[in-house]
Amino acid sequence: MFTRNSFLFGYNKKRRFIARELEKEPLNLILVVDEEASYNQAKDDGFREVIFMDLTDDELLENLKINDDDYLVCVMTDHYMNVFLTLSLHSIFPQAIILALSDSPHTTQKLKMAGASRIIDLYQVSANRIHNMLHKPVATKLIERLFSPEEEFSFKEIEIPKGSSLDQVMVNDFDFSKHHVILIGMIDERLSHQFIFVTSGLENRFDVGDTLVCIGYNEDLERFEQFVGL
Amino acid sequence: MLKRLLTQLAFFLHSSKLYNQVKKRASDFLLNSDYIYKKYFDIFMILLIISSVSILVYEVKHPVSPWVDFFDIYVVTTIFTLEYLARIWVHNSWHSEVVKEYGDTKFLNKKFCLWSPSKKILLGKLSYMASPTAIIDLLAILPAYRPLRVLRIFVLFRVFKLLRYTKSINQFLSVLGSKKFELYTLLFLLIFITMTAGIAIYVFEEKSNDNINSLFDALYWALITISTVGYGDISPVTPEGRVVSMLIIITGIAMISFVTSVIVSSFSEKLTELKENRLIEEINKEEDFMIICGYGQMTRMFLRHYEPEYAKRYIIIEKDKERVEEAIKEGYRAIQEDASRYDVIAKFNTDYAQVTLLAMTNSDVANIYITLNAKAISRNIRVISRASNERISKKSRLAGADSVVMPSLIANRMLFAAITQPVMYKAVYAILTGQHLAQLDEVNAVYHQKIVGKSLKELRLKEQKLLYIGYESCKNRVFVFNPSMDYVIKEGDILLLMGRQVSINHFKETYKEIDYVHT
Repeated sequence: MFTRNSFLFGYNKKRRFIARELEKEPLNLILVVDEEASYNQAKDDGFREVIFMDLTDDELLENLKINDDDYLVCVMTDHYMNVFLTLSLHSIFPQAIILALSDSPHTTQKLKMAGASRIIDLYQVSANRIHNMLHKPVATKLIERLFSPEEEFSFKEIEIPKGSSLDQVMVNDFDFSKHHVILIGMIDERLSHQFIFVTSGLENRFDVGDTLVCIGYNEDLERFEQFVGL
Repeated sequence: MLKRLLTQLAFFLHSSKLYNQVKKRASDFLLNSDYIYKKYFDIFMILLIISSVSILVYEVKHPVSPWVDFFDIYVVTTIFTLEYLARIWVHNSWHSEVVKEYGDTKFLNKKFCLWSPSKKILLGKLSYMASPTAIIDLLAILPAYRPLRVLRIFVLFRVFKLLRYTKSINQFLSVLGSKKFELYTLLFLLIFITMTAGIAIYVFEEKSNDNINSLFDALYWALITISTVGYGDISPVTPEGRVVSMLIIITGIAMISFVTSVIVSSFSEKLTELKENRLIEEINKEEDFMIICGYGQMTRMFLRHYEPEYAKRYIIIEKDKERVEEAIKEGYRAIQEDASRYDVIAKFNTDYAQVTLLAMTNSDVANIYITLNAKAISRNIRVISRASNERISKKSRLAGADSVVMPSLIANRMLFAAITQPVMYKAVYAILTGQHLAQLDEVNAVYHQKIVGKSLKELRLKEQKLLYIGYESCKNRVFVFNPSMDYVIKEGDILLLMGRQVSINHFKETYKEIDYVHT
């Protein structure tokens, strides 16, 4: 059992991928559905924790034992229901991180107002992808590869722990090429909680608690993570 | 001997790349409305006709300087003559027919006869020369012959020649052509009523009306009256004649209304088609454009963000009338057609332009069919197809799609990244949406030749606040991720850089052209 939960509200064939991928993560995955067909499908697909309930009932939602740091993912097919559920979850668990899927700018706006922390607009990301395919085919291919779980190189978030050799080192003084990884950016906890791109021109210093985002071959990233932890 | 020489000539012309290229180019200029540069030729000819007609009209009352006369007699006429001959030349191909006939006769072990294919081609050329447009072209050359002043009336044919180069007049005539039956019926009715009324007035008034001296006068009066023009030079004087007048005036008004309604209805029926054809013609003049099949949420989103970038270089093809109306209302360029039909996509200029087709309907079956249709027309059409899952994506690729977009997969991956690696998600989201702080851009060494031969170290990217991600090799188009800084850039490589838009733009500008002084 892990300490953190991920609640996936809504399930169908299209959401099988996200459920399967989340299952591999160190999270307890709980599927919550309001349709019998979805419940049966989720069970048939081999998911152990599936709850079938009325998602419009706040009392039932309160009984889900959701903690503040849990992930609540709203991917209902019915977008009215998705907005309503986001609003309900936000009112009951104001600290929880709510992620939602949208299919139009209007729905995105409503989800934002309902309290979703992060919204992914299905068509906007696809529209961006098409535009990038037309204008930046090499870049698009790279991003696709970085996202694909089967690829040999990817993104990685690395947090600087206490006693790390990177602590107190200036970003510009450190040679990442020696480790065969590329630093994209970081969250400098000392300055702000915002993500800063390495190309923004700021002169930052690595401190304990900062999070680095690097890209590289998986093996190199693993080695670099170990190096940071030393 | 002559037969052998001519046959050899036919084979020589058939295999001559240069000759065939020249003929193809001439044909494109004269006949191919999809050819990008045809419009310039048309404009040139229109200006030539206008200048020539202006000279001939001015010349009626005023003396013109000798150079103007020279221009009209020699320059304009030579161009018109060359154009006339070129049109006869490109109308059909003698050498192809001879080569074909030669092959057929050899295959059948028959005796080859040169006259047979030559006759066929000759008849084809004569039939073209007898066509109204070719006759106009020929007659338009005649006003240049100054000794016979009467030939100057043929200046009218130079005006008619304008028809060739102006689409609006041709479209007007083709619209009228679609109502041929109604217009012919009205014409016969008009002739019948005019004749009847003319004969009637002639019988009634020949003796009592001084202005009607012959049947021609009576018919002239009838036509002037039925058309409601009524000059008044001839008017009925007897009660019987006035009754005839009243009847044909009423008939005339009815006929004019009928003609007007026929023309208006034919235009309203064809208006949408005309507008759509105009849109296709406009886009066919572009060197690269995009055909978006389907107007759904995805197309809407795409155009909402990127429409200004594509300006007039896109067209939406949608089957559903309501959706087309909606797209037009939004200000987009849309036509109501079925993109899975061969003739619809074949209308586009796929020979000369770089065409990208987005199969974006919400049906996987339709998208695959559209992909196959586009690739059947031209392998050069770049197809990006939408698919709902991996299996459909595989089928789309088999159908020939160059790229496949799976909205649910992309969203799922983003969602997954947002849960598992929230910091990375922010970075990737910024990169994907092209935010100015983090652009991931490509620098093609073909267009930025100054970087060729330089090592990555020499480019001093760090100083310019740029992050080097990798390059796509010019040799095998393989992406090399995070290579050594000693790598020397070759022509055709594509570098992948990340940085602020301003840094990337500055870099591109710096290495844009070859510095001839230093190289």
